[in-house]
Amino acid sequence: MSVFVIGYYAALICASCLAAYFNYRKVFMMVFSLTLISFVLGIIGGVPALRNVTIAAGMLALAAGVSYAFREFLIQIAKPDLAKELRTAPLTASFGMFVVFTYAIAGIFAPWIAPYGEAEVITSAFAPADRDMLLGADQLGRDVFSRLIYGARNTVGIALVATILAFIMGALAGLLAAVKGGWFDQVMGRFADVIMSIPSLIFALLMLSILGPKIWVIVIVVAIIYAPRVFRLTRAVAGNIVVMDYIEAAKLRGEGDWYLIRREILPNSTAPLIAEFGLEFCFVFLLIAGLSFLGLGIQPPTADWGSMVRENATLISFGDITPLIPAAAIALLTVSVNFVVDWMLFRSSGLKEQ
Amino acid sequence: MGDLLRLVLKRLGYGLLTLLVVSILIFFAVEMLPGDVAEQILGQGATPETVARLREQLGLNQPAVVRYLQWLGGAVQGDFGISATSGDPVMDVIGTRFVNTLFLAAYAAVIAVPVAIILGIIVALLRNTIFDRVANVLTLTSISSPEFFLGYILILFLAVKANMFPAIANLSSGMDLGELLYRTFLPALTLVLVVTAHMMRMTRAAIIALLSSPYIEMARLKGVPPWKVIVRHALPNAWAPIINVVALNLAYLITGVVLVEVVFVYPGIGQALVDAVSKRDFPVVQACSLIFAATFILLNLAADVGAILTNPRLRHPK
Amino acid sequence: MSRKDQDLINRIAEGARKGRISRRDFMNYSAAAGLATAGATSLWTKSAAAAPQRGGTFRWGIHDGNTGDTHDPGTYVTRTMIFLGHTHRSYMTMINGDGSLGPDLADAWEANETASEWTFTLNPNASFHSGRPVTANDVVASFNHHRGDDTTSAAKALLADVEDIVADGEHTVTFKLTGGNADLPWLMTDYHFAICPANDDGTIDWRSGDGSGPYKIDSGEFGVQFSLTRHDGWHGEGAWFDNVDIIVLNDPNARQTALVTGDVDAVSQVDVKTMALLERDPNIQVFNVPSAGAITMPMFCDTAPFDNVDVRNAMKLAINRDEIIEKILFGAGTKGNDFHHSPAQPYWPDDIPQREYDPDQARALIKKAGAEGITVNLSTADSVSAGAVDMAVLYSEHAKAAGINVNVVREPNDGYYSDVWLKKPFTLVSWGARPTPDVMYTLAYKEGAAWNESRWVNDRFNELLLQAKAELDDSLRAEMYREMALLARNDGGTIIPFFNNFVYGARGNVGTPDELAASWESDGGRAASRWWFTG
Repeated sequence: MSVFVIGYYAALICASCLAAYFNYRKVFMMVFSLTLISFVLGIIGGVPALRNVTIAAGMLALAAGVSYAFREFLIQIAKPDLAKELRTAPLTASFGMFVVFTYAIAGIFAPWIAPYGEAEVITSAFAPADRDMLLGADQLGRDVFSRLIYGARNTVGIALVATILAFIMGALAGLLAAVKGGWFDQVMGRFADVIMSIPSLIFALLMLSILGPKIWVIVIVVAIIYAPRVFRLTRAVAGNIVVMDYIEAAKLRGEGDWYLIRREILPNSTAPLIAEFGLEFCFVFLLIAGLSFLGLGIQPPTADWGSMVRENATLISFGDITPLIPAAAIALLTVSVNFVVDWMLFRSSGLKEQ
Repeated sequence: MGDLLRLVLKRLGYGLLTLLVVSILIFFAVEMLPGDVAEQILGQGATPETVARLREQLGLNQPAVVRYLQWLGGAVQGDFGISATSGDPVMDVIGTRFVNTLFLAAYAAVIAVPVAIILGIIVALLRNTIFDRVANVLTLTSISSPEFFLGYILILFLAVKANMFPAIANLSSGMDLGELLYRTFLPALTLVLVVTAHMMRMTRAAIIALLSSPYIEMARLKGVPPWKVIVRHALPNAWAPIINVVALNLAYLITGVVLVEVVFVYPGIGQALVDAVSKRDFPVVQACSLIFAATFILLNLAADVGAILTNPRLRHPK
Repeated sequence: MSRKDQDLINRIAEGARKGRISRRDFMNYSAAAGLATAGATSLWTKSAAAAPQRGGTFRWGIHDGNTGDTHDPGTYVTRTMIFLGHTHRSYMTMINGDGSLGPDLADAWEANETASEWTFTLNPNASFHSGRPVTANDVVASFNHHRGDDTTSAAKALLADVEDIVADGEHTVTFKLTGGNADLPWLMTDYHFAICPANDDGTIDWRSGDGSGPYKIDSGEFGVQFSLTRHDGWHGEGAWFDNVDIIVLNDPNARQTALVTGDVDAVSQVDVKTMALLERDPNIQVFNVPSAGAITMPMFCDTAPFDNVDVRNAMKLAINRDEIIEKILFGAGTKGNDFHHSPAQPYWPDDIPQREYDPDQARALIKKAGAEGITVNLSTADSVSAGAVDMAVLYSEHAKAAGINVNVVREPNDGYYSDVWLKKPFTLVSWGARPTPDVMYTLAYKEGAAWNESRWVNDRFNELLLQAKAELDDSLRAEMYREMALLARNDGGTIIPFFNNFVYGARGNVGTPDELAASWESDGGRAASRWWFTG
């Protein structure tokens, strides 16, 4: 038994005793079950397994601490209304906001943050990490860390623009279809069916092969793929609103379609649309990453997370996790956005669990 | 029941219309791809005269519209033409591929669907506990991870490090079921991870959404134990959204698995489609796309019918 | 003998067994390890000279296969089909491991004095998998498949000067040419010229997949997998494996993982990026074989500024080949010397000095040509080869030191060879390996050739090309090719930065001959019939 193992169990048992004493039931349950699990893990995996548990727990605690602090920070700087809302945010949501915030900073200020240019060859291939290069070099000797930072700008930026475009197209068509009804509604509905029945990756593959993998093509193709989903949602939400009496009244007043959409329907359907925006952003993001992985996305030497995974994928067989770092960056962002969306959905649904 | 039949027929009619439009879109998309099948077959060694000769043999000299109508004429009679590259009937080319895809989808679905629904019920029962929170984070993580990322992680740990499963899922004829299941375990597991989380979250959400309804409240006040409230009272009414999300995910398992096929070198229909696109082999591209579109349409229809069947209120609309 | 010595000896023996060290080195190392000469000799015989063993199923992961592939040899284009063709079919001749030309179906061949008529004698033991013997008729039909107005074969151009092919009895075939061609037997190694069984009407039956090669196809699916078993009546030597499974693994990562985990015994191409890492694995052998495939950078000799030979030579001097091979190929390349004749081809002149990176001299030549501050556009695309754009960018850095501004233009991948190559004045091109210098020079350097990518016209070169083609005396031919190489190097319009190596791998228990053929990856595409399991 090493000092580490003794200290490990001592810390866990102390923590559970403290939790029990101060009546934090959940914390106690969590810490004590961790203690029990550790016995099993310790027997199977030995000291390394326990070390991994410690590291994981430490990371989790750090994440929780950061989220807590970030939520307090937001509450401090926000206006009173918003601050009240923010207080209800769970730690996962504030963690999500923190990650999104960090990515945004990294993307916007990429040239100042990244130590090297995104296509700059600075050393030999696969040079290991050192003081100048946090994550080592890639297959051409470019700094992986710098490329990650620039990737935040390129990959996230493109996904964001594509999602916004998909929303403008989908929501507009959906609102118009709900208001106008009739053949316009039918045609748009069938058209959405057609687009949706072609698998998204195949559609993108064909379109990008025809038009070439230029950035604007990627944005438009991805927007077209996702617009029908937004259309369906908007159509459904607006469809429920259109039959309301106050819309009828506005129609009788002689208000035009555009007025109805802008002043009556849109304000009443923003909550589900915003929640949907977060989800769609994740899907768009994953699709673009998938396209890059197939070699059809953002073209080199532009740094992009999907192609960074593909370019270095062969390292995996050697147990080297370098290619997984950009993939993890993708996953972290989508998880974070989903955390925030979950909270928003919860708030907008008004569902209060007892 | 007559209403239901009428609905199904109407939806099938729309479905056929959708397929027609899809086939037109795909045809002209393939036409617009740079280069044609003759150039692709001959590759870098092509000379203008051999390309011209091959085009003539393949009937590519006719106008595009004529070729489309010819194809359509055959397709409505169930003849999807012959592959421009191999000269074999399209159905022979993609038949086994489609079976492989269905096999993998079924493999993943058989594991994922029950697991997702049962876990969904359990987390609904244990909502707002630590277990629920952890499950929430884990499912979000697995939904949000790119498939190739999950695939690579599984390869790294289960194939390269532990050497428990093969890293590539190549199939050969004459394998028995056990070996088949063993060889395709990693791609199936990847798909399970991708779809389970989504279905599980929907199950949980559908059940929880019902928990505030008065009849549940009633049952609870009667003193029915919580698990019984959920399984006996909430679940029957939650089937519609659950079936819907299951159908969507089944469609995904068939149509959306190109990346998994690439990572694990699985001979499914997605790879065949990507190959055919690169060769500009229109009949194969068309057949694959229509299979995908039809799968999507039929599963959507099945979901709607299933929703109606499980909910008497939808069966008899006011 | 200490345990350490024993270890050393085991390692040496292992190296010898795999053909990694020569007999002489082996003796020296053994002596160092304290082994008596007699003992070393017997160890050498036991390990290295141990005869290849029969048996086993060779699982071969091959890159580049497509669902749309067919057995038609006229449209072989993917590596999978080319390697499969070398496994289940036979060719008239083959390129041996040492680069020489050897017999396959043809036992012997001879030409008339002007090399315009060639007679091939077939191996009487050769038979198709169906059991029928291979006859002269099959050969005639197989070659006619690539000739005539109706053919859609991609190899049509190679047989352009064949006037007639006549069967003379069961086992003799005569090729009549319009002019002399001393390289015809070499030409027969082209992967399109697989021999298939003839139908009665003079066409060939390629659909059935029947062939006369070392293995016959039991089952298979294009773009996926083929299972083959040994053809017991094969006429050649080798075919040690009982069964061969050809598995299409297009994804480089899947290929490499499969090799590392032992899901396959060999792969046809290894990602050069991770070559060094793979070599560290004691269970893996990585083969790095110089080939005749090259990257070329043709400059239009009739277009300014490249119409001035000094500018052309300055461009050639302004490229740092060493750095390109190190950075782009990770060492898996052989330096080019601006003539398109690789050390892996016959008649290679080994005494021509290597052109090195010399920005000062390049600057002087630019000054002499009065073209200071020159700017040129270099067109390239990612699809040309792995790292093509990176290489162009690297070259522009090198050229800057010589006062030449190279502006890298990235062209679309699709249609690069129809819209950019032969149309833009300065491009980056990838060439596959050709068996002889004559084929290469005739395709891309001869005046009036459709693919004369640099539009270079040199009368002496063209004259020598024709002479050498019909010359049957090897030493005279070699001398002519040497002069042509010098002309291309000092006057031509093509920069040849490197000949790329074939990099492929196998598990440690796969035995290979000492020398691996340079014509294709995986030992000339014939790994299945030339390699064996050591245990």
